[in-house]
Amino acid sequence: MLRAVALATVGILGLVSQPAAASEDDASEWLQRMSEALATRNYFGLFTHTTNGQSETMRIVHRVEDDQSLERLVSLDGSGREIVRTAKEVHVYLPDRRVVLVEPRTEASSLLKSLPTPSPQLDAHYDLQVRKGNKLLGREVRIVDVRPRDAYRYGYRLWLDEESAMPLRSVVTDPSGRAVEQIHFTRLEMPARIDPSATEPSVDATGFQWIRTGRQPANAALAAKAAEWRPMRMPPGFRLIASRVQTMPGVPVPVQHLIFSDGFASVSVFIEPGSSSGPAPPESTSVGSANAFTIRVQDHIVTAVGEVPPATVRDIATSVAPVTSLAPDEAAKSGEPASR
Amino acid sequence: MTDRINEQISAFLDGELPSGEIGLLARRMERDGELRRAFGSYVLAGEVLRSPGGITARPDFAARVSAAIDSSASESSGQAPLASRSSRWSRPALATAVAASAALAAVLLVRPDMRGGEDITAGNADPGAATLAAFPPGGASPTPAQSQRLAGYLVAHSQFASPIGRRNVWTGVLAADPGIARVAYDAVEAR
Repeated sequence: MLRAVALATVGILGLVSQPAAASEDDASEWLQRMSEALATRNYFGLFTHTTNGQSETMRIVHRVEDDQSLERLVSLDGSGREIVRTAKEVHVYLPDRRVVLVEPRTEASSLLKSLPTPSPQLDAHYDLQVRKGNKLLGREVRIVDVRPRDAYRYGYRLWLDEESAMPLRSVVTDPSGRAVEQIHFTRLEMPARIDPSATEPSVDATGFQWIRTGRQPANAALAAKAAEWRPMRMPPGFRLIASRVQTMPGVPVPVQHLIFSDGFASVSVFIEPGSSSGPAPPESTSVGSANAFTIRVQDHIVTAVGEVPPATVRDIATSVAPVTSLAPDEAAKSGEPASR
Repeated sequence: MTDRINEQISAFLDGELPSGEIGLLARRMERDGELRRAFGSYVLAGEVLRSPGGITARPDFAARVSAAIDSSASESSGQAPLASRSSRWSRPALATAVAASAALAAVLLVRPDMRGGEDITAGNADPGAATLAAFPPGGASPTPAQSQRLAGYLVAHSQFASPIGRRNVWTGVLAADPGIARVAYDAVEAR
């Protein structure tokens, strides 16, 4: 299923992708260039991440090797936490917990093929504007505003380097225009080559607990049961782009993972079958600009996670229901966007 | 402190100091305690100017900048350089970069909380001057079991996010410390 959807997505993106020669006034082309730059350039830098009134300094290193995007993100403010994306896995080092969380990479081998691209229907859900900005880091800047047309999604203001389209600053705003998260680079270098050691973790994980996410469901019957559930309501523009069954750290049963995107923001829905014990949902959580909402539905625990407002993940999670309980025409529409 | 140095600090914090002068300024700060304190005052002043809603900063802010420059400089000199294969001809440039990054890191490490500010809604006349608005309160703190589940979900979700979405999710995971607990789990392996 995942492969089929991914291939279909790649095919669609291939049709709509435009050459990198962006019009100076076309915001969607600036977004396209930005996504390409983030995925295909070598770069390292320092930035501040600010959310909930707290600022934290982080270092990022990104390099490309054999058509693979390798990345290392380090918190410099004392905890030593790191995220390293290798060719095959994503490692989250939590030295304060002596834990490493491991998630297999899922994207296709080609960088550009795996790149989420601004979709043709983006204009239907966002108002895109681009304008000249003041210099940042001594570089000429274009400011791209991505303003949602409804309250289901966040807005973005992006300060892009005119030459490379790399984002030097980004602010995520809620539907009322208030900032919920900012990333502000104070240093950014884009060398032709970065030494491989720069993307190696600095944490000595000897003796740490390695918790791995798996792809093979341990219980096929439960996996099949999870696959029968879908969100019955999705915000306009969000479409199912992938689906998979996997094991998750701390979750004793295979979990159905559905991924929806509106061409810019994305939402994941996780459905755990047979969870009669565990935390008592509903539970709403914010992590930076990402929000999650968990709720128990019958004997399942449903969690929606995404870079969208809290109300959006809540609405999606609370709409999840077994497909088999619906009328045939409703079942046929399950997981598809529904206008409200 | 001369006007020239004042101008250099101001230009440095605006990202407009020529690269050839950054290393000189950073090394001078390492030697000059008064300059470091002045540098801290500049940082604080800049934050105030950019945050019309007001900010909070400790009284020893400038001294903390001084201390952070010292510790950042020693940390930077001890880490594996990105340009480890550089020839000796590039060492001055590398030293400049290390010194500059130490100074920058020092500024950022002791940056005061940014609270208050203006909206950056679409109607703002000067988006370049926009500052952070007051951040809304986050959701309730999850329990260890919930946060472990959440961290796993966030990382799994990030694989399908756009590059900038993935970065936002990752920074949130690192900054928020989801509090992953050590658990008994059949996919766990010891190393």
